Amino acid sequence: MTTLAPASTTTAKVKQQRPDRDTKGAGWIALITIAVFLLLWQFIPQTGLINRVLFPTFTDTLAGFVQLVSGGYWWEDLGKTMMAVAIAWPIGVAFGFSMGVILGTSPFIRQAITPYAIAVQALPKVVLAPLLIGWLGFGSESKIALAVIICFFPVWIDTMVGLALPAANEFKLMQSLKATRRQIFLKLQLPSAIPMIMVGVKHSLLLAFTGVLVAEILSASDGGLGKLAKEFASQLNMPLTYSVVGIVVILAVALVSIADVIERRVVFWSEESRARKR
Amino acid sequence: MTTTTQTAPLVRATGVTKKFGSGDKEMVALSGLNLEVREGEFLSLLGPSGCGKSTALNIMGGLLSATEGSITFGGKTLTEPSRQIGMMFQQAVMFPWRTTLDNVLLPVEIFGESKKKYRAKAEELLSMVGISEFAGSYPWQLSGGMQQRAALCRVLLHDPKLLLLDEPFGALDEFTRETMNQELLRLQAHTKSTAVLVTHNITEAVFMSDRVAVMSARPGRLIGILEIPFDRPRTPDLQTTSDFVALVAEARKMLELQ
Ligand SMILES: Nc1ncnc2c1ncn2[C@@H]1O[C@H](COP(=O)(O)OP(=O)(O)OP(=O)(O)O)[C@@H](O)[C@H]1O
Ligand SMILES: [Mg+2]
Repeated sequence: MTTLAPASTTTAKVKQQRPDRDTKGAGWIALITIAVFLLLWQFIPQTGLINRVLFPTFTDTLAGFVQLVSGGYWWEDLGKTMMAVAIAWPIGVAFGFSMGVILGTSPFIRQAITPYAIAVQALPKVVLAPLLIGWLGFGSESKIALAVIICFFPVWIDTMVGLALPAANEFKLMQSLKATRRQIFLKLQLPSAIPMIMVGVKHSLLLAFTGVLVAEILSASDGGLGKLAKEFASQLNMPLTYSVVGIVVILAVALVSIADVIERRVVFWSEESRARKR
Repeated sequence: MTTTTQTAPLVRATGVTKKFGSGDKEMVALSGLNLEVREGEFLSLLGPSGCGKSTALNIMGGLLSATEGSITFGGKTLTEPSRQIGMMFQQAVMFPWRTTLDNVLLPVEIFGESKKKYRAKAEELLSMVGISEFAGSYPWQLSGGMQQRAALCRVLLHDPKLLLLDEPFGALDEFTRETMNQELLRLQAHTKSTAVLVTHNITEAVFMSDRVAVMSARPGRLIGILEIPFDRPRTPDLQTTSDFVALVAEARKMLELQ
């Protein structure tokens, strides 16, 4: 009765014992890489090889970071950005999921919509930003709209694909029990799709973040971390610009880590089921 | 065994033909199958790979419709799956997000009946096949044989009148398969259900069955039916008796001559 198996989403087939050693080695390598990187960051700008104004040293950046964080005025921007993500992401996930369910359970609608879906997928959606700003103004609405448009797609596709994952035999079992379409959906297709959907949901989290930041950089009036980075950069205050970028990186990593933990809890069976399905 | 001929058949297939595809690509998977399955008997469908055994079984289970001919089940024409019929496949088909016990309880959950009511029965079945300590484990923590045992419990849970078994132990090793077959016979006798087993193993068919329906390939057709008169319960030593060997040889001859 060993429980929760580690469900790493990238490497599906790695067995349980091997990663322990590998991660230990990898941990050291990562540490050394970081140390080397920081040293180079500290000393190369001092050599004069590159412009120290544009590329401040590590300690200059750190000082900027402390100044920013202790300054306090950036909290509002952080709040605005995270609020927009917190609104846009669930909307995108809900919309993507609904589309995925509708298309994944109705072959007719799927055939009708697939050509448009492909066209929409191919479109670099950032290009819609000026349009959205034109329609919805410079406020948080256009920001959220862009984030939603950018982030719903993976959930849609992953839901649709996930619902088609069950094997013929699994459908046959359900049919032999005279399960209704609703029961087949709820008790077979949806649980089978959840591992896939979770991947889409995680992906869409980062895309929502990206969408919000892009919108903030394009239209500064509503504030947010994107606006902050843009302003600092235009003042050539690079330590502060770097600090904002650093905060974004930390936030993104934190968000993805939380999502990973949730995913592992929800789809504890996923590793095995993936191995079972070749 | 002598009286079973008197009772009305549980299943009657009349001129059942199944064609797949159409036009140039049309292929006859099953041709004019006439077969009766008697109440309480154990019948095997024996034939080479691709002769339409699974097709015939799926039609009897209401999962496929016949191109021609018809099936009656309990005297009524069968047009859709019935909850009186339980099916088992070559794979255990266990849902990995459910514990073994919850997998076994799946049928009653789908029928909308109270799972509580069946819980004790499910646990009893699990202990009858010797995997009660795995009730709370997930299917992927079980071996293939254990998973098939659980699948056997699942199909028996709601006492279906008819068991349709499509090579249920075909993917298991020889040893496990023999014990599973024994277990199946025991449980089938215990529940007094009727069973149709698909297999391409001659010895297995003869050992398990009251009658063996021998089929030929392309197009799938019934060659003949072999009566197996041995008493039950049957033990593995039966397989070394000369009567048994003779029946196996006869079945083989039917398959080869076709
Ligand atoms: N859905 C389908 N579409 C087209 N052809 C099919 C389909 N199902 C079965 N067939 C064909 O019908 C024939 C009989 O298939 P069936 O699965 O009933 O054979 P079988 O006797 O069960 O074989 P095996 O012992 O290998 O399981 C085969 O030639 C197969 O290719
Ligand atoms: Mg078959």
